[in-house]
Amino acid sequence: MFLNDWLITPLRVIWDDWRARVGGIIILLYVLMGTIGVVLISEPRPGDGPRLIRPFQDWAHPLGTDINGNDLFAQTVHATPPMLEMIVAGAVFTTALAMVVGTLSGYKGGIVDRLLMTFTDILLTIPGLPLVIVLALVLDPRQPWVVGVILTINAWAGLARAIRSQVLTIREEAYIEAARLMGISTWRILLKDITPSLMPYVLVNFVNAARTVVFASVALYFLGILPDTFLNWGVMMNYAYSVGGALYTSGTAHWLFVPLMTIVVLSFGLILFAQGTDRVFNPRVRARHASQDDLEPGEDDMSGEVATQIRG
Amino acid sequence: MTEPEPTTTKMGRPVFEVEGASVTYDMDRGVSRVLDDATIDIFEEEILGVVGESGSGKSMFASSLLNAVPPPGTLDGEIRYHRDGEVIDLLGLSPEQLRRVRWEDVAMVFQGAQSSFNPTISIRRHFEETLEAHEYDIENGLEHARQLLADLYLDPERVLGSYPHELSGGMQQRALIALSLVLEPDVLVMDEPTAALDLLMQRSILSLLENVKEKYELTVVFITHDLPLVAGLADRLAVMYSFKFVEIGRAEDVFSNPKHPYTRALLNAIPNLDTPRSRMHPIEGSAPDPVNVPTGCSYHPRCPLADEQCEAAEPPLAETTDKHHAACYYWEEAMEEIELSIESDEPAVDDTVVGRQSDEPVVSVDAVDVHFEQGGGGLFGFFSDPDTVHAVDDANLEIYENDVVALVGESGCGKTTLGKAIIAAQRPTNGTVRYRGQDIWGTRDGRVDGEIPWEQIRRSLQMIHQDPGSSLNSHRKIKSSLEDPLRRWHPNMDPGDREERILGMLEYTGMSPPTDYALRYPHQLSGGEKQRVALIRALLMNPDVILADEAVSALDVSLRLEMMDLMLELQDAFDTSYVFISHNLSNARYFAGNADGRIGVMYLGELVELGPVDEVIDEPLHPYTKVLKWATDDMELSDRIEDPPIRGIDIPDPVNPPAGCRFHTRCPEARTVCREESPSLDEAVSAHPTACFREYPMEHPYWDSEPVDDAEETVTGDPIDAG
Repeated sequence: MFLNDWLITPLRVIWDDWRARVGGIIILLYVLMGTIGVVLISEPRPGDGPRLIRPFQDWAHPLGTDINGNDLFAQTVHATPPMLEMIVAGAVFTTALAMVVGTLSGYKGGIVDRLLMTFTDILLTIPGLPLVIVLALVLDPRQPWVVGVILTINAWAGLARAIRSQVLTIREEAYIEAARLMGISTWRILLKDITPSLMPYVLVNFVNAARTVVFASVALYFLGILPDTFLNWGVMMNYAYSVGGALYTSGTAHWLFVPLMTIVVLSFGLILFAQGTDRVFNPRVRARHASQDDLEPGEDDMSGEVATQIRG
Repeated sequence: MTEPEPTTTKMGRPVFEVEGASVTYDMDRGVSRVLDDATIDIFEEEILGVVGESGSGKSMFASSLLNAVPPPGTLDGEIRYHRDGEVIDLLGLSPEQLRRVRWEDVAMVFQGAQSSFNPTISIRRHFEETLEAHEYDIENGLEHARQLLADLYLDPERVLGSYPHELSGGMQQRALIALSLVLEPDVLVMDEPTAALDLLMQRSILSLLENVKEKYELTVVFITHDLPLVAGLADRLAVMYSFKFVEIGRAEDVFSNPKHPYTRALLNAIPNLDTPRSRMHPIEGSAPDPVNVPTGCSYHPRCPLADEQCEAAEPPLAETTDKHHAACYYWEEAMEEIELSIESDEPAVDDTVVGRQSDEPVVSVDAVDVHFEQGGGGLFGFFSDPDTVHAVDDANLEIYENDVVALVGESGCGKTTLGKAIIAAQRPTNGTVRYRGQDIWGTRDGRVDGEIPWEQIRRSLQMIHQDPGSSLNSHRKIKSSLEDPLRRWHPNMDPGDREERILGMLEYTGMSPPTDYALRYPHQLSGGEKQRVALIRALLMNPDVILADEAVSALDVSLRLEMMDLMLELQDAFDTSYVFISHNLSNARYFAGNADGRIGVMYLGELVELGPVDEVIDEPLHPYTKVLKWATDDMELSDRIEDPPIRGIDIPDPVNPPAGCRFHTRCPEARTVCREESPSLDEAVSAHPTACFREYPMEHPYWDSEPVDDAEETVTGDPIDAG
């Protein structure tokens, strides 16, 4: 029952949508790369192979090597775990904080709302990039998850405001008033009655936050603002540009393209996944998939719009 | 199928010939036929009333007349439109030709004027854009528009210069009718044009509509779920059930002598003011699903006369008597066996469920005011005083155990706000609300140290909301929603017991199999079923008072009685009291009357009359109650809708209520003293409390003062919107 509601039905819904399917597979590949890949493929060392082999030439080095003979594929793979850690930390930090602040402020209103929103507005007015640069220089972060949080330090404020405005309309729904009159606690109302309606929106923003972290980190590592502590796709691009001159030398161009494509494909996968999964939170779709084995004729599977038109 | 020949003087030549029109939608689980083989002629200058419950296909019929079926639906059959002797095949027109026919020949008025107007442009601009789009002369067109607005009792210049939000709902709806007529169409199709309005406003618009129709020689197709509403207006009535026409005939024949069992049952299911309550009966069962329409006659599962023939073959829509068509094999039997409640001979036995009403009130409301501040706030709020809306002023009311109080009034009269104040969902601005003698808000704030804790009060006062679509969380299964109250108040209850309790309640309220219903999401339930779940959720709290805020208004006519019966039955089992809010006097009469309750009439935030149901309905004392009764009293056919016994239809602004008696601006009995002094409920010497000087002792100055002069009160020579 529990398993069916929380795992099998959502997975079925996801699998039913091609975007979510493709996106999910891409994300799964990166996760595999960051877990099993690190074990299977040995860490890159200078002089592993000849210098600057082009991709798809030598199958010992499928994606080629850089100017020191480092294997680019191995570099990409070994950069994945810290990157994933950073992405998850940043995205979770942003969405979780935005959810708590946004829903609480929108639902409670009054003084709670004013205090939280004043704080949010102050954060919103601070320009993001300079703040991140200053923080990065002052704190000199070395753990990936700290980097993730710093990169999204004020990204949550805008999301919190957007979520608050959505909650303002949801809290007028009759079922929220009914729950309040039944004496249900605020936290339970937020969790059970308000959050589910926000989920498609939050999910898209979770993925957006993840992409922000990828891009911001790559940019800041590329610019050399973040300390060069762990293998990183941004650092790879930085070297390709500064050492290899990849922007104007065709012989080293692949050095830049390999990390670039890694980032683009991940970002693409995340977007597809987010688009496809908002259906998981649609009760009409869930109901259809939950009862797939014993589909009864009375089941309502009109799309909402058509159903309204017909009944209206 | 045969169609009535246009022979009578009233019916001229046909404007529309609809033959075998069907609308289908392809869906995952099969073909959904939402208009099935509709065949009907519409004649010049007649008013055709199309009546059906929601989901009967009546809106699809309206869309078909303009060949405007929402995609991906497909429309088949034949629809011919006659324009000055020329016959146009509507389904064979190019998009451009079709655009010309729409609005210029056939215009449509939709339900809910608010969403038909663009809020960012003025009414004048709406007229201009319509004229421009059809290349009409703007000057002449606007002149015509002014004429139309004046015919609809609106002040043309004021309305044209306004933005939609500056007009009341009734004025918007009238402006919309004028807009649809500005291109001088021959046919006006109206889809539930008055459903969102108060009864009083509906009545007034209908009387205007009849005048406009005569003046501009229109043919009107009026689509509604409310049979009695159109009965007095329409020349012919067509009743739809399950996407088909089941009965067509002259209005007086269909209304007073219906031949299809469905029409007869529908008439018996509509609450009204005259029929004894014991003779109103709900229709059993529910309307069919568009994909699974029953074989044969689609009404057979609900019909008491059905036999094998009805299950096997569909009865054709055949002429029974003169110009009266019904799709039933047994229409003769139906007329004998299904007795119409209005003409029944059986003695009226109104058995009331008399509860053990207590002497001590459960909830007492003492001099309660609820004011809302409107505007103000924000950065510039310091510079402007916010407007104060007087939602409720000086209300006094006591609710006993097993009591039913129905609050009745037009929208905006503060009945919902008062209801919420009673169940402690709304904090009053002044005055006290007491639960078993203990100040509720004092307990909440910790100011009063009573025996009853706040939690106990909270769980004792519950509510059922109006809109079944929003009363349940669409993301949670029924079982999960129903578990909330039990989890909160019986945290130690065994999950098995909890489930058993929920299933038991579902079964009791007629939702079986309960295990199936418990695992459904709200969208898999009908409106009536959702309201029943909301009722169960409130009852699982074991409350003392339940506020039912228009709890049946959103339901289909045939389901309302069933829901009200269920609520009353459960009152007996659970020992609760109801505060029943309704804008409809007949619903209030049925509900409160069956429980020996009271009716409270509200006007502009004040209770103006409070008394036992039969007294208030049969002998209303306050002039406003009389007006409400006039607006509701519609179970009779009159040739013409009479003028309302009221001066001015629109309610004054609650931000700035009239001084003295608030009703004096519209009251037909108003005298000068009413402008200065305000009557109160408890000084009257009448049978039950009434806030009107006419019920005061005879020596009151009212009787010596002058009647209010109409000319002085009427502002713009515009009788409907005066005040």
